[in-house]
Amino acid sequence: MSLLALESLRLDAGERRLIQPLSLHINAGEQIALIGPSGAGKTSLLHALALAKAPSAGQIRLNGQDAWALSHHARHRLRRELMLAPQLPPLPPRQRVATAVLAGQLPGASPARSLRMLFSPSAAQARIAHDALATLELGDRLWSRVDQLSGGERQRVALARLLVSSAALWLVDEPLSALDPQRAQRSLAVLQQAARTSGRTLVCSLHQVDLARRLFPRILALREGRLFYDGPPEGLDDTTIAALYAGDDAHANTPPPPAAPTPSAQATPHIICR
Amino acid sequence: MSTPAAVAPSAPWLRDPLALRRTATLVALLVLMWPLLVLCEFRPWELLEPRSLRATGRFLSQFLTPRLDAEFLVMVAGDTWRTVAMASAGLALAWVIAIPMALLSTARLSVSALTGRMAAWPAGLRFLVRTVLVILRSVPELVWALMLVRVIGLGPGAGVLAIALTYGGMLGKVYAEILESADGTPTQALLRNGASRLQAFFFGTLPGCADELVSYTVYRWECAIRTSVVLGFVGAGGLGQQLDNANKMLAGNEVITLLLVFMALVAAADRVSAWLRPSRRGEEEGGQRRPAPRLGVWLLLAALLAMFAASFATLPLHWGEWLSLQAFAQMGGFLAEFFPPQLAPDFLWRIGQAALETLAMSALGSGLAAVAGLAIALVASRPTGMLRLSARLLLNALRSVPELVWASMLLISAGLGPMPGTLALALHTTGVLGRLMAEALENAPPQTALALRWAGAARWQVFLYATLPQAAPQLLSYSLYRWENNIRAATVLGVVGAGGLGQMLTVHLGLFQMRETGTVVLAMLALVMVVDACSHAARRHLNR
Repeated sequence: MSLLALESLRLDAGERRLIQPLSLHINAGEQIALIGPSGAGKTSLLHALALAKAPSAGQIRLNGQDAWALSHHARHRLRRELMLAPQLPPLPPRQRVATAVLAGQLPGASPARSLRMLFSPSAAQARIAHDALATLELGDRLWSRVDQLSGGERQRVALARLLVSSAALWLVDEPLSALDPQRAQRSLAVLQQAARTSGRTLVCSLHQVDLARRLFPRILALREGRLFYDGPPEGLDDTTIAALYAGDDAHANTPPPPAAPTPSAQATPHIICR
Repeated sequence: MSTPAAVAPSAPWLRDPLALRRTATLVALLVLMWPLLVLCEFRPWELLEPRSLRATGRFLSQFLTPRLDAEFLVMVAGDTWRTVAMASAGLALAWVIAIPMALLSTARLSVSALTGRMAAWPAGLRFLVRTVLVILRSVPELVWALMLVRVIGLGPGAGVLAIALTYGGMLGKVYAEILESADGTPTQALLRNGASRLQAFFFGTLPGCADELVSYTVYRWECAIRTSVVLGFVGAGGLGQQLDNANKMLAGNEVITLLLVFMALVAAADRVSAWLRPSRRGEEEGGQRRPAPRLGVWLLLAALLAMFAASFATLPLHWGEWLSLQAFAQMGGFLAEFFPPQLAPDFLWRIGQAALETLAMSALGSGLAAVAGLAIALVASRPTGMLRLSARLLLNALRSVPELVWASMLLISAGLGPMPGTLALALHTTGVLGRLMAEALENAPPQTALALRWAGAARWQVFLYATLPQAAPQLLSYSLYRWENNIRAATVLGVVGAGGLGQMLTVHLGLFQMRETGTVVLAMLALVMVVDACSHAARRHLNR
């Protein structure tokens, strides 16, 4: 049985049609890249998958349960099965990084545990946050305040929050938009590796078509709210990509050149000792 | 290479650098709570003793049958008008004090400052005027009223003059600040070209800040209405005096009618003032409900003039008596009795204790209100629904009844002492803070909260981890600001028997011990100034 099933799901915002009726099955443990030009509906689809937006028509079944037929309470319980990392990491500026990361463990946590993490995380809790941060090369920022971080660092803190969460389905919206290319590749590798070892399902919207084709076994391409392509990267040749992005000037066949290449000396992934 | 590696902790998760500080703060707060609770004689369970429960029950059960017979209602209508008239006439007289003082004290209209430093004697004069303004507004209006009642006798005259003195000080200071914060170049250009100071004011300064001046004035008029109810408690007539009488006779059916009328009056003043005030927010929202600024100003002037004329015409004010030489001589004699203030050590010791009690009342009241206000604000900031509406109604009701009125009612069930005072402060402040906090919570960026909500976190977790960290500085800053207000309120609560400096004031004034009274007033001034300074420093620290 598939983890997530969409049956002719439609999404509207007022008069505007965001997602045309769309059917889709996602199995547990899959790793899927979601690509398409700006405005194609990538974020809307992720929001629908995250049960953040109610569909105008159709069904979404998570773990076999029709999410929007459930009671409000039961649906909210079901949300613990998934975690969405929005594109702009929404972190309170005055919060400490450790707290912001550990917030990923909130769903289902007891009041005592929640308060402890907020007031001053115990060594064990802090270690969980630290290890997640360290895989993303941010171990030294554990006790910093969020407003001391750069945009790229905040994006990686949001990924660390995902890494500590116990959700079975990770939905990630443009996780690499504020990162330089080398770091983007390494962060994506960390995310994929973590998902693979713990058996999570990963759906990740990406702007970098080459990364998506190289690293993901299954690609979903959206264009104007329609499913344009669903399958292995081998089926996506350059002409298909050109057709997908036709009219999107900002996104030619090749991804934009890196703005600031980092020295390769830093490129070796940081190994943490446990 | 070896030193940084050796110094850097190998396992940063073992030590939270803030843990010690946070624990210490928490412990310090808890330890501080103890003396506060003791000083305020805060034993809320006393309210639940059978005896006080019976008194409260009898009083409250009468609330169910408000007194609505024609005779009473006619009297209430008259008193309502007297309350409004007192506020309006007081404000008109405050202008007589405030406008010349503001013009004198603002450096904007200085001719000598045009060419560098201000000359010595104008600078001295400005300093003197500012000092007078500070003293006028630092003495609570209730204290002015208490003393004026002694000089010119019971009646609305004392209330009008008390409002005039305090509000004259407030308006004068704020007018001067508004004039100085406006762009000074037009005024200076006119002065440089040889215009007189008044010409420069009307053609250079006033056009730039008229809106702000009007806005502040209308806001103060709204406050003056609340104040004039409070002044009734010391014999200045109007709704306050009726409320005081009804309370003392334990006539709950009259109290509830008066309270409802009073809440309606405050709500009406609130609406009128919101409608007249040229607010930026109104413009952002489309500004359809508000008249154009010009029209608004004219409407305001016409309405205020009509009301002022009516106020002066209907209030029994005996200018001839008050402005006679005899009256001035009497007032001079009265003031002279305050000097020298009583400075005997054991009296100062008692003053110190009373000041501590007042301080504790204001701090505990503000603290309780911050917690309760936040709790109600959480409900009031829900997107829609009955709960939101009833929370807002509750906040408005709490807010529109002044501390002193709450205290006078609580005295019935709690008896004399600082506890009813503390509770009264807490009730009124909960209303004020709840409204401000609900706004702050609604204005916090929602994305952080949504991200956690979508991950399946519970509502309270989302609040603790996303909403609170963003709104906390604002919430704390509001609470500190209210504390500054509450220390002023706490000094006067004693007038109805709620302990602290206010109670000492009424006792000594009642016994005609003027030198002692003088010391109490000085202690009030000092306490208010110290708290202002502390809170100001704390708020500046917060914004970092």
